[in-house]
Order: sequence, then C-alpha cells, then structure tokens
Amino acid sequence: MKNCSWMTVFPENIRSLLLKLPPALFSGLEEIRLREGRPLELNAAGRHYFLTSAGGITSDPSAAFKPGKQESNRLLDLITNHSLYTMEEELRKGFITIAGGHRIGLAGRTVLSGGKVEHLRDISGFNVRIAREVPGIGDGILPKLLDFKHRSIHHTLILSPPQQGKTTLIRDLARGISSGAWQHPDAKWPGLKVAIIDERSEIAGSRRGVPSFDVGPRTDVMDGCPKAEGIMMMIRSMSPDVIIVDEIGRPEDADALAEALHAGVKVIATAHGSDVHELALRPALSKLADPPFFEIYAVIKRNDSGLAFRLWDDKLRGIYDGEAARKGREKYG
Amino acid sequence: MVKMLGAALIVLAATLFGFAKARQFASRPAQIRHLILALKRLETEIMYGFTPLPDALQRIANQCSEPVKSLMEGAAGNMTPPLNWTAQQSLQHAIETGWKHTAMKSAEKDVMLQLGFTLGTSDRKNQIGHIATAIRQLESEEQAAREEQARYEKMSRSLGLLGGAFIVILLY
Repeated sequence: MKNCSWMTVFPENIRSLLLKLPPALFSGLEEIRLREGRPLELNAAGRHYFLTSAGGITSDPSAAFKPGKQESNRLLDLITNHSLYTMEEELRKGFITIAGGHRIGLAGRTVLSGGKVEHLRDISGFNVRIAREVPGIGDGILPKLLDFKHRSIHHTLILSPPQQGKTTLIRDLARGISSGAWQHPDAKWPGLKVAIIDERSEIAGSRRGVPSFDVGPRTDVMDGCPKAEGIMMMIRSMSPDVIIVDEIGRPEDADALAEALHAGVKVIATAHGSDVHELALRPALSKLADPPFFEIYAVIKRNDSGLAFRLWDDKLRGIYDGEAARKGREKYG
Repeated sequence: MVKMLGAALIVLAATLFGFAKARQFASRPAQIRHLILALKRLETEIMYGFTPLPDALQRIANQCSEPVKSLMEGAAGNMTPPLNWTAQQSLQHAIETGWKHTAMKSAEKDVMLQLGFTLGTSDRKNQIGHIATAIRQLESEEQAAREEQARYEKMSRSLGLLGGAFIVILLY
C-alpha cells in the first residue's frame, strides 16, 4: 500500500484495528474521524461507517469502538511529533498537515486574545483527511484549458463543493502543465514554469519545504504562505508562467490575482461553490467577475467513474458538458 | 603476617568507600548544574528554534557530557520510531533506567519526572514556564547539594579512613 504515512499518527491499538479492515475499504478511506468518548468514524466513497473494537464496521454507533482520553492525547502527541509548541500557527488555523500531505483538522476549546483565536486547547476532535495522488485525473480537462494563441493555458477557476477533488485536480494540472503533458495532439510547446501557492500544504504536501507529491519538474512551491502575499512573492521572485492557488475567497486574494493578470501570468484557482452564476453574489469573487478575469470556469463533481466537469467561458456561456475520461486508477480524496 | 595484610585491606577498602562517598557529594552539584544548563538549552530550542522535542533533546545530548548526555539521548531515542512513546513515557523511562548512574538524588529526579508530564504538550509560553520552574527547583537543589558537599565531602573522606582503622582496632 503506497503512501500510508498517515497510519503512523495513530496509536497502536487503533492502527491494529484499521489494519483489520477489508482491503477494499481500507484503500478507499478518505477520512478517519476520532472524537474523544464517541465512536470512531470512517468515511469512504461518500459513505460513513463506525469501527468496532474487533476491527469490523457497523452503522450502529452504540456498538462502535469509542476512543478515550488516552487515545486522543496519544494521537495529538504523534501528530505534533511530541512537540505541540511547534504547531502554534497550525493550531490557530485549526489543522495540521503531516508528512505525505495528509491534513488533520482539529476541534477543541479555543483560547482568545483580543477577540482572535490565539490557541487551541483541550483538543478532542480529529479529522484525518487522507490525501491521494491521482496521476492522470486532470488529463481530461487539461486539453480544454489550452490557449493555442499564447502557447499557454487560459485563466481558469475551478468550482466545486468540498470533498470533490479540487485539490487533487489542480495538483495533477500542475504536474501536466509543468511537464508539458498537454494531452492534445496539436499542443507542441514545452512545459511551463509553474508556481504553487500552497497555503495549507495540501497541494504539494510539502515536508520541510520539499513536495511529497509529484507536482512536475518545473514547479516551485511556496509552502504555508498566505495566498495573496504568496502570489505577489512568486511574481516578483520566481517569474512563473502559471500560478496555481487553492481556495480563493478573501478580498485580498482577488487583488493579488488581478496583479498576476497584469503581470501576464496565467492563473488556475479553485473556490468553493457549485454554480458559476452564484459567483457574482460572493463579495470577494464578484470583483473577479466584472470585468471578467477568468476565461474558463469549471465546475467539477466526482462520480462513480471518476471526475465529471462542465465548462463555461468568461461570459458564463456553457462550452462543455461531459465527463472526464478517468485515467487514474485510484479514487481521489 | 596474614593478620597485617587483612588489616591493611580493611583500611584500604574503608578509605576507598569514604573517597567514593566524597566524590558523590562533589559530583552531585556539578551534575545538577549540567542538567540546568541542558534545560536552558532546551528552553532556547523551544522558544527560538521551534525545534521538535526529539530533535532538540538529541541536539542537546550531543553537546552535553555524561551522565546528562545519556539521559537526553535515551529520552530522544524513546520518542522516535520504532518505539514512538509519548514525551512523558520517554523521559520517565530514560530517567528510571539512567538515574542510578548519576550522583543525583530523588529530589532532582522528581523535578525531572514532573517536567515530563508537561513537556511537549502545550504552547511555547507554557513550556517555557514549566521549564523555568524546573530550573528554579533544580537551582535550589543545587544550592542544598553544595552545602552538603561543603559539610560532608571532607568528612566522609576522613571517616572512611578512621572507620577502617576503628574496625582494625576492634578486631585486634
């Protein structure tokens, strides 16, 4: 089993229970949610299960294995490498990224300072989100984003609700653009310089600054950097052809994207949403709608066979509606 | 002749015992000082270096001399795979197994065990607070140890010799 580094953060008893799961379920795991004193929950392929103390699955919460204080303390200890103090910034944001790009969301009691969250204590809720690299998941959509005139790609905004594979998709797009694997017979230009602003260390899954996922040979990653600042830093310092950012949504993000546009840098961004026509109603994103910044809007949705997407142009006219050919063998998380 | 040899052996043994005891009195404050310096380094690593605990302890171990070195090394080793114990377990185990090789007493041991309960489990400010408390307690122990050294070091040396002589006289 590849990239099971997330297993190492679990205490031994939970790890041995997880290893008893049926292999098909185990390899499809997307989330493992541990709440102190409550059933251990597993999420896979859009369904949820509870884990029993014998290592089986059940839908009855009362029959499930309930991790206690000891397990949650141990989990926190392992996640933080015995050093909670090194994670102060992460605790403020409410999640920790571990080796392999897996993200662990945290819930507990907040400590406020001047009305702002300064620290998280009494952490009792964990959501281990398992990141999966799916090489080829973007092969279907990439040829539709090509800009033949400029031998580049179009400014693209990818929309979807959470957990539909946005991050997995842009990771693969970064790989494709950077290596020049355009998946189109007429696209003969080489790979482009890609800059990823990876605010939550999810796209590249960087560990000590080095990406743990394949993001392509010509890709630079600014890890853990606020998006707006990161975009400006990359434009100034790394002369990228394409900038890739995840989950834009704040007003300053829009300003920074506008800056990228004027600098002649192409942008691929993602945002939460399910309908392109709602964009104008979102305060931060409406700035980017008029005058239109993005040339292509994509709404993606995962289904049983892989990734389905629909495309709109800058005037929000539908230009494509269909399902991406599924190249990656595994599902994405 | 054999009697003389036996008497000499007794005196020698008692003297050596006295010297060993004296050395213990002398090295206890020195070792506490070492421990305090190690904790101060740990404080710096946590405050300014954001160094994870296993790395920090290993780094400190590399700079320290025995017996603090093996304490720190042991704790760091227990924390990393394959054992992967919690910080508290690791430190506790290192102390329980390594303490008998030191000249330090149970008061210092308790301070360190107490520190183990909080090490790595809170934010930096809190960590620094706990380490500073431990350092203060160790400093007062060091003070007491120095007083003991001044009082008992010479005494145990002479007592060893005199005790040996006393036994010999009794036997004759």
